[in-house]
Amino acid sequence: MRSRRRALDELDEENLLRLVARGDRRAFDELYSRTSPWLAVRLRRRCADEQIVAEVMQETYLAVWRAAGAFAGSAVGGTAVGWLWTIAARRLVDAFRRRAHHAEPPVAAAERAAVPAAEDEVLAKAVGGDVGDALRQLAPELRQVLQAMVLDGLSVRETAVLLRLPEGTVKTRARRARIAMREALA
Amino acid sequence: MSAERAAHSSTSSHAASSHASMRLIDDYARGGTEMAADTVWALEAHLETCAICRGRLAASVATEAPGTAALVDSVRAALGPQLDTAVRMPSRRYRPSRLPAWTTSVTVPWLAMTVIVTVLALLLAAAGAPTAAGGVAPALLIAPVLPLCGVAAAWSRALDPAYELTASTPRAGLPLLLRRTTVVLAVVLPALLVEGWLTGAMTAAQWLLPSLAFTSTALALGSVVGVTRAAAGLAAAWCAVVAAPAWGAGRVPVVLRPDQLPLWGALLVLGTGAVIARRRAYSLL
Repeated sequence: MRSRRRALDELDEENLLRLVARGDRRAFDELYSRTSPWLAVRLRRRCADEQIVAEVMQETYLAVWRAAGAFAGSAVGGTAVGWLWTIAARRLVDAFRRRAHHAEPPVAAAERAAVPAAEDEVLAKAVGGDVGDALRQLAPELRQVLQAMVLDGLSVRETAVLLRLPEGTVKTRARRARIAMREALA
Repeated sequence: MSAERAAHSSTSSHAASSHASMRLIDDYARGGTEMAADTVWALEAHLETCAICRGRLAASVATEAPGTAALVDSVRAALGPQLDTAVRMPSRRYRPSRLPAWTTSVTVPWLAMTVIVTVLALLLAAAGAPTAAGGVAPALLIAPVLPLCGVAAAWSRALDPAYELTASTPRAGLPLLLRRTTVVLAVVLPALLVEGWLTGAMTAAQWLLPSLAFTSTALALGSVVGVTRAAAGLAAAWCAVVAAPAWGAGRVPVVLRPDQLPLWGALLVLGTGAVIARRRAYSLL
């Protein structure tokens, strides 16, 4: 019992998901306690309505419990966490579809003038120094579209629901954002 | 600005770990809007791949964002009863997918049948059938046509439930047929080899070339009348014209004597040549 608990701590998310697929509730609890704060924070940054976030998280983890066996895993080059986010992002869009009028508009990130810390600079290299500059100089409404489509992996239609914009506007803004990024990086 | 940032990051990248700072994670957990967009972007991309930083974010949520922590707990509490009643999808791990996709569903039963026939011939020989029939091994009589049993099932409309799908794939036609035929030969020939070695009644030279010749002829005729029909016809003709009289007479049939081998070789070459010449004719099933 004791060694089993320690073994669960040492597993990565993919292996936990494999255990969940076999109906292991303790593996599910472990997966939940590891990933739910991350998912909650990430969802809350995209949706100010706490009720919708709670609903989306509940649906997401229920889907994980029911369909963990469908996760093809590292065999197709996907991570368990990425899979989780894909489910959550889709559920968020669905929740917006269901009751669009409840949702607050997504928070537009304000500009920040302070000099970033060294670690943040290193981290920003994941996006790239020049790319980071270009992203920051992008108009907020263009950046939102780019974030939803690139970082969150949503389609044009889903982005339109999430940002409550017409699809045509999303397409236009995505194109303008791409052009702006290209010019900034040229 | 960008040059300065690049220089800054290049100096710090040597020393620092590639994890996010605690202050940054705390800011992110609080959901503050004052973070720079590119930092948030990088952090979110990083969090998706880094279990350590997710753990630190979890700790940060517990201390810095009580609202989110409460949300996580309440979701977990509400989830409990739903998990008990949820109908779970069958796991993909337990779906039967042991056979490669290019085999037909009847491959295994038909090969098993072929092997069983081989074993039966062996048992027949062991049970003293040679004394009853005058010294000709039953295995030797059926060996040349035994691969045809498998070949008949390799490219058959009646025996392949998915034949319409099979016929529409790009790999359909001769390559697929040859692949399946190879599987049949890979199972049947060793079985016959073992049997010949056990009984000592037949040498590989006696049956190997005839069985290969029959296989290639069946494939060649198959381009005209269908592989199944060709295989069945050849096997029936063999049994009626050669095997049954030889069994009755108790002698090794003339066509299986070693001096007939050039004939079988010629048949093999002819069959193979016909298959190559008509390679386009196998796209129909």
